[in-house]
Amino acid sequence: MGLVEIATGKVLSSFSVFLFLTVLLLVVARRISTSVLLFSVQSAIIAAGVFATGFQERLAEAYVVGALVLLIKVIVIPRAFFSLVERLKTSRDVKAWTTPTQSVFIAAAMIYLSYAAVHSYGQAVNVPEDSLAAAVALILTGAFLMVSRKKALMQMLGLLVLENGIFLAALTTTFGMPLVIEIGIFFDILIGLLLMGIFTFRIRETFDHLDVSKLRRLRG
Amino acid sequence: MILLLPLLIALLGAFLLLGFQNPRVATRFALCVGGLEIASLAALVWRVHVDGALQVGRYLRADGLSSFFLVNIAFISGLVLVYASGYLPLAGKGRFSSPRWFYALVFLFLFTMVSVCLSANLGLLWIMMEGTTLASALLVGFYNTEGAVEAGWKYLMVCTVGIAFALFGTIVLYLAAVKAGMNPAAALDWVALMDAVPRMGFDPHLVKLAFVFVIVGYGTKIGFVPMHSWLPDAHAEAPTPISALLSAVLLNCAMYAVMRYDAIVSHATGPAFSHTLLLIFGGMSMVVAGLLILVQRNLKRLLAYSSVEHMGIIAIGLGLGGPLGLFGAMLHTFNHSVAKSLLFFSAGNVRHNFGTLRMESITGMSRSLPQTSAALVVGGLAIVGLPPFSLFISEFAILSEAFSQARYFVAALVLIVISVVFGGFAYHFLHMLSGEPHGAPENAKLIPSEYMVMGIAVLCLTFFGARIPHLFGVFVQEAMVVLR
Repeated sequence: MGLVEIATGKVLSSFSVFLFLTVLLLVVARRISTSVLLFSVQSAIIAAGVFATGFQERLAEAYVVGALVLLIKVIVIPRAFFSLVERLKTSRDVKAWTTPTQSVFIAAAMIYLSYAAVHSYGQAVNVPEDSLAAAVALILTGAFLMVSRKKALMQMLGLLVLENGIFLAALTTTFGMPLVIEIGIFFDILIGLLLMGIFTFRIRETFDHLDVSKLRRLRG
Repeated sequence: MILLLPLLIALLGAFLLLGFQNPRVATRFALCVGGLEIASLAALVWRVHVDGALQVGRYLRADGLSSFFLVNIAFISGLVLVYASGYLPLAGKGRFSSPRWFYALVFLFLFTMVSVCLSANLGLLWIMMEGTTLASALLVGFYNTEGAVEAGWKYLMVCTVGIAFALFGTIVLYLAAVKAGMNPAAALDWVALMDAVPRMGFDPHLVKLAFVFVIVGYGTKIGFVPMHSWLPDAHAEAPTPISALLSAVLLNCAMYAVMRYDAIVSHATGPAFSHTLLLIFGGMSMVVAGLLILVQRNLKRLLAYSSVEHMGIIAIGLGLGGPLGLFGAMLHTFNHSVAKSLLFFSAGNVRHNFGTLRMESITGMSRSLPQTSAALVVGGLAIVGLPPFSLFISEFAILSEAFSQARYFVAALVLIVISVVFGGFAYHFLHMLSGEPHGAPENAKLIPSEYMVMGIAVLCLTFFGARIPHLFGVFVQEAMVVLR
């Protein structure tokens, strides 16, 4: 058994644990830059998972997808975020509605919930329960970050984490969708982030802050 | 080739438009591109009518259902472009700093909506549906006021999250197809799925799970309650031509996606599950929107909630199923589009003359703006479903289906909500029309472009109310055949 095989096995057997770790760290992170870094690490773990799956299942397409994840989610998006944070000159605090302690408990509850949710489906579709649970946990965490953080940038990050979860779900259940569709989805995410970036500048210009919780003019 | 033409024209037009600095030239060029786009769509629809479904490669396909919605897109976008050509110069310099960007984004938006209707692959359908959000978000926030930026941000976030759920649903359906033994390359192909679903034994749990996520996801774009929160804000804060496009075309495109999924799920597990979900979402949307219509203060928000209510009616028609229910739902997508764009066009005119859309500060319109008032009255009577107009026919079809299936609860719900909405519209409109005029120029006439589009819409509403043109009826039938 060569080194690559061993590495592949290790990655596949342990990457959901690392993903749960990023989830727990993400909800307690107090600074935007830390959260972005954690997102980057999380995407790198997912990219490793893609490569390992591709190697194990002998899927050439998976390498392309893995390279895309590495390029876009590990390098391009975090860099864009850092430059946004710098150019917006906003405070670094994520401004959460919940305290870190509460957040950890909520995250733990969400991980438990993910296992409970995938339990019945995991056996039916014959996929590793851990990675499917990790996917659901990422989706829930993303949604939680979106509703519990007041900064516009953190809402974007929550969306990205949620999207990571959906991507992971597709990967673990079906080894990914057809390549053309994957590329289209990546393209959409990039454009979406670009637009959200434009909007954060506009919010800052028109409201002079980035606190989305204060955008409450439109009601009813 | 004829299938690619509408896509190419819209996309090229959008990029070329950015080259025109002069607002007047840009407007003229936009009208030309719009004309070409409509002509190419008409040619495509005609080809599909004559030759049957057309396919280009693995990802693009036009059948009866697509062409029915293409007719809707072509008709409404034509009206909107003509209306916009007169509206932009009036809207004032500060608000429309660059018509070329406006038109370029409109054509990108059209491109994505046409692509939604021409997607043969459910993955591509998702990509293009997300594209509609992206292309229109900047249009919603076009005015750059506080309200517009807030509405644009909310629209972008809510719809992107919503549509992420639809992606999850798409993946689950893909999983079900692959597990049932379909070739992974064809497992998202709509035709292949429709063909495989009855014979290959899809796991019913997975198919149902997929539909739940899809209806929540695309339902966000349709504006089903409780995912409708973006809709009134976006409709009220967007420039008026865009409000009309969102309400009359975009919501229908999302409904189209749900129809495609509903057909697959009905074939796989029987119609009970998906139709019940449609009835639940439709009923909730009708009731909540109907009640909220009563308390609105802003004219465009009132119209937006009315769109939610009508999407509910369409969902109920689909959920009832049966020949009349489906027929009514199809017809209603078109009729609602025409009536709602007429109302938004009138609202745009009210905004010019009164400088506000707050209904409490608008009085005496019937004397100061007789022509706009006439359009508003016709649109209002049509939208509440009164007999001489076409919405009556489609609502009547849906109601008769409910009665013939002995679903008296559904029928009663629809009837009650329609009467409540009638009361709401009558109250708001009577307040605006009657009383002493103040704050508006004496007897302001409509400008030619407004006059033209409103005239066409009124004619269409009345004519379709008297009898459905033969050819149009054939289109509806062809669309229904695809779903069966």
